[in-house]
Amino acid sequence: MLRKRVAIVGAAFFVAAACGGSTPSTTTGSTIVLGAPLGLTGALTKESTLTKQGYDLWLDWINKQGGINVDGTKHPVSIKYYDDTSNANQSAVLMQKLITEDKANFLLGPYGSGATATDAAVAEQNQIPMVEANGAAQSIFNQGYKYTFGVLSPANKYLQGVIDMAATLNPKPATVFMLSADDNFSLEVADAIVSYAPTKGMTVFPVKKYKNGATNLSAEVQAAKAANPDIVLNSGHLQEAIAINKAAKEQKLNAKIFAYSVGPSTPDFISALGKDADYVYDGSQWTPQVKYKADFYLTVQQYVDAYKQKFPGVGDPDYHVAESTAACLALQRAIENAKSLDPKKVRDALAALDVTVFFGRIKFDNRGINLTKPMVVEQIQTGTHHTVFPPDVADAKPMFPTPSWDQR
Amino acid sequence: MAEFVQLVIIGLLAGGVYVAVGVGFGLVWGVLNIVNLAHGALVIIGAYVTWQLFTAFGLDPFLTLPINAVALFVFGYALQRGVINRIIRAPLLFTFLLTFGINLIAVNVLLLIFKSDFRSVTPSYSGQGLELGTIVIPYIRLASLGIAMLLAGGLAFVLNRLRTGLAIQAVAADREAAQLVGIDLRHIYAVTFGLGAVCAGVAGGLIGMIQAITPTAGEPYTLQAFVVVILGGLGRVSATVVGGLAFGLIEAFAQSIPGSGSVFANAIAFGVLVLVLVTRPQGLLGRLR
Repeated sequence: MLRKRVAIVGAAFFVAAACGGSTPSTTTGSTIVLGAPLGLTGALTKESTLTKQGYDLWLDWINKQGGINVDGTKHPVSIKYYDDTSNANQSAVLMQKLITEDKANFLLGPYGSGATATDAAVAEQNQIPMVEANGAAQSIFNQGYKYTFGVLSPANKYLQGVIDMAATLNPKPATVFMLSADDNFSLEVADAIVSYAPTKGMTVFPVKKYKNGATNLSAEVQAAKAANPDIVLNSGHLQEAIAINKAAKEQKLNAKIFAYSVGPSTPDFISALGKDADYVYDGSQWTPQVKYKADFYLTVQQYVDAYKQKFPGVGDPDYHVAESTAACLALQRAIENAKSLDPKKVRDALAALDVTVFFGRIKFDNRGINLTKPMVVEQIQTGTHHTVFPPDVADAKPMFPTPSWDQR
Repeated sequence: MAEFVQLVIIGLLAGGVYVAVGVGFGLVWGVLNIVNLAHGALVIIGAYVTWQLFTAFGLDPFLTLPINAVALFVFGYALQRGVINRIIRAPLLFTFLLTFGINLIAVNVLLLIFKSDFRSVTPSYSGQGLELGTIVIPYIRLASLGIAMLLAGGLAFVLNRLRTGLAIQAVAADREAAQLVGIDLRHIYAVTFGLGAVCAGVAGGLIGMIQAITPTAGEPYTLQAFVVVILGGLGRVSATVVGGLAFGLIEAFAQSIPGSGSVFANAIAFGVLVLVLVTRPQGLLGRLR
C-alpha cells in the first residue's frame, strides 16, 4: 500500500517535472477510507466473501485511475474490513469502531438485511453516508433514515418477475405454494407474492413459514406436495433453497415451476445439486447477460472479464458481486458530484444521483431505495445460468414446464 | 392417513441422524463429564472426509464411512490425550471454554481449507426412494437410519461386552476405584473421546449426503445432540436412540402445523424437553445417578 502511494506521489511529481514546472491538472489528495464490516466467518461467510470480491474489484480499478477525483484532486481509496462473524449486533459495534477509531470517511454495507438494519442506525447517528448492496428488506428504509442508500431492488420485487413470467406461459400456471423463512427480508418477499399473484389471476395457498437457517425441510415440502400446486416458490437463503430442492426430489414433489428467491444464482447451488439444479428459476438482481449502457466504469462484458481475471476458476460473477461493485460506483460518483469529502454534501449528492452503470440504473427514492432497476428472472438450463425474463434482456426461453422427477 | 404415515416416516428418518449425532455426544458427556461444544465441528470434519473421498476418488459415500471412522478415532484420541486430558479434572466451565475454542479453531481451519462453499455428496442414487402408493421413503435417509442403529448397537456392544468398554463403564462409575484396579485413566479417556468422535464422523458422513455442508454447518448439531441426550437420558445408548427418534418425530409433526407453525418447531421440541425434565428428570429412559 505504502509502495503504491509512493509510486502515485512519484508519478505525480514526474508529471509535474515533465510539464516544466507548470501546475499539474490533478494532484494527489489524502486517502479516502471506506469501512465495511462483513461476515467473513459464520453462517453468511459465502455471501460476505462475494460482497468483498465486489468491493475489491472496484477498489483495484479506482486506485489504478489514481483515486476518486474530488474537484481536481485525486484521492486514493482504501477499504477497512472487519469480521462481524455474521452477527448483526457485532456488525453495528464494528461499524461504530470504523467511524470513531478508523476514521472512515464513508461506509459500505455489510451482507444481509439483518446487519444492514443495525448498521444503518449507526450510520444515521454519526451522519456518515452508508451505501449498501446487500440489504433488501424495505423495513431498513422505512425508518426515515437519511444516510443509508441501497443500490439493489427491494425485497418485494424478488419473485414478482417469476409471477410476471408465469403469466405469459402456456398453459398458464394457476396455483402458487409459497415457502418462506421467518426473517424480515424473506417475509417481505413472501408477502409481496401473496398480494401480487392474485392480480395475475393466480391463487396462493397460505404461506408455509419455517425457521431461518433450517436444514431439514422435509415436512414443509410434504405440505407443499399435499397442496399439489403449479408453482412452488421459496423465499429464504442458499442453504434452505438447497434443502428444499433436495427434499422436493426425495418426496417427489412435482410442480411446473420451482423458483427460489436467493440461492440458485450462486455457483454453489449447481455444484451442490448437480443435475437436480436444472429447471430451477430465481429472481436475480443482475446477470452477466443483461444489456445496460454504462455511463462510466466498465461495460457488462468488461466487468465479467475483469472478475474472471482477478478471481480465476470461480466462473462468472453472480449478482452479489455485481451489486457490491455498484454500491462503490454510486458512492464514487456521488463524491465526484459533491466535489467534496464532507459527509453531508456527499449524502445530498447520493440523494440526487441518477446514473446508469453495468449493474443498471441507480436512482434513489426519498427513502434511499433504488426502484428504477428491474429484477430479472434466471433459469438453470443443463447446468448453466440463463436469463429468461424480461424478454428484452433474455438470452434464452424458459424451459417450461419442469418435467417430473421420474422423467429427468 | 397416508399423510400421517408419511410424516411418521419423515420424523423417524430425521431421527436416525439425531441418534447418530447424539450417541457420541452422550458417551463423552456420560463418561468424561465433558459437554463437548466441538461435537458439531467433529460432525462436519466427518462430512468433509466423506465429501473429499467421494469427490477425489469417486468412492461410494457409504464405503467412506469406515475410513471416516478410523480417521476421526485417531483425531479424537489425539485431541483428548494431547489437549483435553490436561484439564479434565478442572471445573466444567474450563472444559466448556476449551471445547468451545477447539470448535472455533476447527471451523476456521475448515474455512481455510475448503472455503465457505456449499458442498454436497450426491451419488447417482441420491434423492431416489421407495414408493409405496403415495408414500415415499428416500433410500439414503433409510440407509442412514439403519447405519445410525448399527452405530448405536455397535457402541452398546463395545461398552457392555468388550474389556475396553467395561473399563470405560468402570471409569464412568468411579474413577478412583477404576484407577485402583489398574485402569489407565488417560488411555481410557482418550479411547472414550475417540469413540465419540467416531460416532460424530459417521454422522457427518450421513449428513453430507442429506444436506449441503459448509464449515459452519455443524453448530446446530451440537445443540441438537444436547437435547437428544437429555430427552433420552444420560448414561445409556438405548436412551439416546429413543431420544433421537422422539426428537425427529416431534420436529416433523411440529413442522407440519399449517401456516407459521413450523417456525415454532424448535420451541415445541424444547417445550417437550422441559416437560420431560420436569416430570422425569433422568430423561425418558435414563438411569438416576
